[in-house]
Amino acid sequence: MIFVLFKRLFQVLVLAALQVLILNQIHLFGYATPMPYVLFLVWLPLNSNRVGNLLWAFLLGLIIDVFSNTPGEASASMTLAALVQWPLLHASAPKDCVEDMVPTYASMGRWNHTRYIIILTLAHHALFFLLESFSFFHYRDLLISFAASLALSVVLMLTFETLRHGK
Amino acid sequence: MNALSDKLKKWGHWIVFLILEVASLVLLFRFNAYQGSVWTTQANEVVGRVLEGRQRLIAYSQLGEANRKLTEMNLQLQSELDVVRHRLAALEHDSSATERAVASQLAGIHRIPAQVVSNSIRERENYITINRGMADGVQNEMGVVCGTGVVGIVYKAGQHYSLVLPVLNSRSSISCRLHDTEYFGYMKWNGGSPLLAFIDDIPRHAKIKVGEMVETSGFSSVFPAGIFVGKVRRILNSDDGLSYKLEIGLSTDFARLRNVSVIKGNPQMPTEPKDEEEKEE
Repeated sequence: MIFVLFKRLFQVLVLAALQVLILNQIHLFGYATPMPYVLFLVWLPLNSNRVGNLLWAFLLGLIIDVFSNTPGEASASMTLAALVQWPLLHASAPKDCVEDMVPTYASMGRWNHTRYIIILTLAHHALFFLLESFSFFHYRDLLISFAASLALSVVLMLTFETLRHGK
Repeated sequence: MNALSDKLKKWGHWIVFLILEVASLVLLFRFNAYQGSVWTTQANEVVGRVLEGRQRLIAYSQLGEANRKLTEMNLQLQSELDVVRHRLAALEHDSSATERAVASQLAGIHRIPAQVVSNSIRERENYITINRGMADGVQNEMGVVCGTGVVGIVYKAGQHYSLVLPVLNSRSSISCRLHDTEYFGYMKWNGGSPLLAFIDDIPRHAKIKVGEMVETSGFSSVFPAGIFVGKVRRILNSDDGLSYKLEIGLSTDFARLRNVSVIKGNPQMPTEPKDEEEKEE
């Protein structure tokens, strides 16, 4: 139990540091900023606590918000993505999997896993850029930013997951 | 009792979800409102420290460049000093009145030196964090300048760090005037290049030249008059076609901002007629 707690805390800190210190500086073509910290939700096992997941996701979002002057945006989007995560994983997990399955290519199959990542990231990015529009509304720029960031984040996350689990 | 716990199990995550979302939205709107706490921004103590550490690393790697610039500036200042010495020698006999005026004007502007610990230029809403806060005398709505001109206005002052709303923020609006013709307007920035800003509402009959200097107007208490802002690059038609819109090439390179100073208004010097200061913009 305590081990899981520290593992999650570690994941949160590493993902937040990666985002705040490095990735926030990237603006590919002036539009795309990768936000692969959604990976935190991808790493949650099948039998994780639903309420706990929401709280962790909120915490991760909050840390990132505070460091990037976007109060509420990342935390709100991460919370939404965390709400989606639980039913989504239960729907896309294979019928015969173990109770504490961690979603990977091996455990879920390539297509299922990729779709899982895309939908989670979509949920996060959609709300993030919607909230962004409250402080800056420029319809066309925002849509381009949304699509470009989404694509970049998904590619980064898929690459990372592939490297992590080999082949 | 059982029914209650069953219900909680079934709906608990929705309740938590709603609470967290409401909390997030409160944070979002409180930040966008002008006054608010600095707790959730980069002016927060812990955040400031982390960002300062990162900035030190980056600055360390750029020392060579900084050194070169300092030397260059030194040379330039020395040559200027020579010129000034010559002039001064020529004017020595009746300079006491001017000297006194200059000294009193300089004394009127207290400045707090600060360093940039975090900076962005590619966002739509850019912010700068500096390592001075209320403990050092920084207050909300003080002007921030650097060696090359205007930087921005303090947005939220924390205890030891402050968040600055630079020119490169769509919410920034700085009262400027043209140096020669003295037409004035508010300088805005609406995304895009960090080197360009715009001044709207310059009347049609104004005869403006490309390359003319733009400086602060001194109409607000934030900046004293005459601080360099940039130069007119292009003269465009405003959106409604009734006036000119000036494209300004900014003099400050926000991408390489490091040392700035916060302008602290002068408490012991009340507004003199020549200052033309107004409290509110």
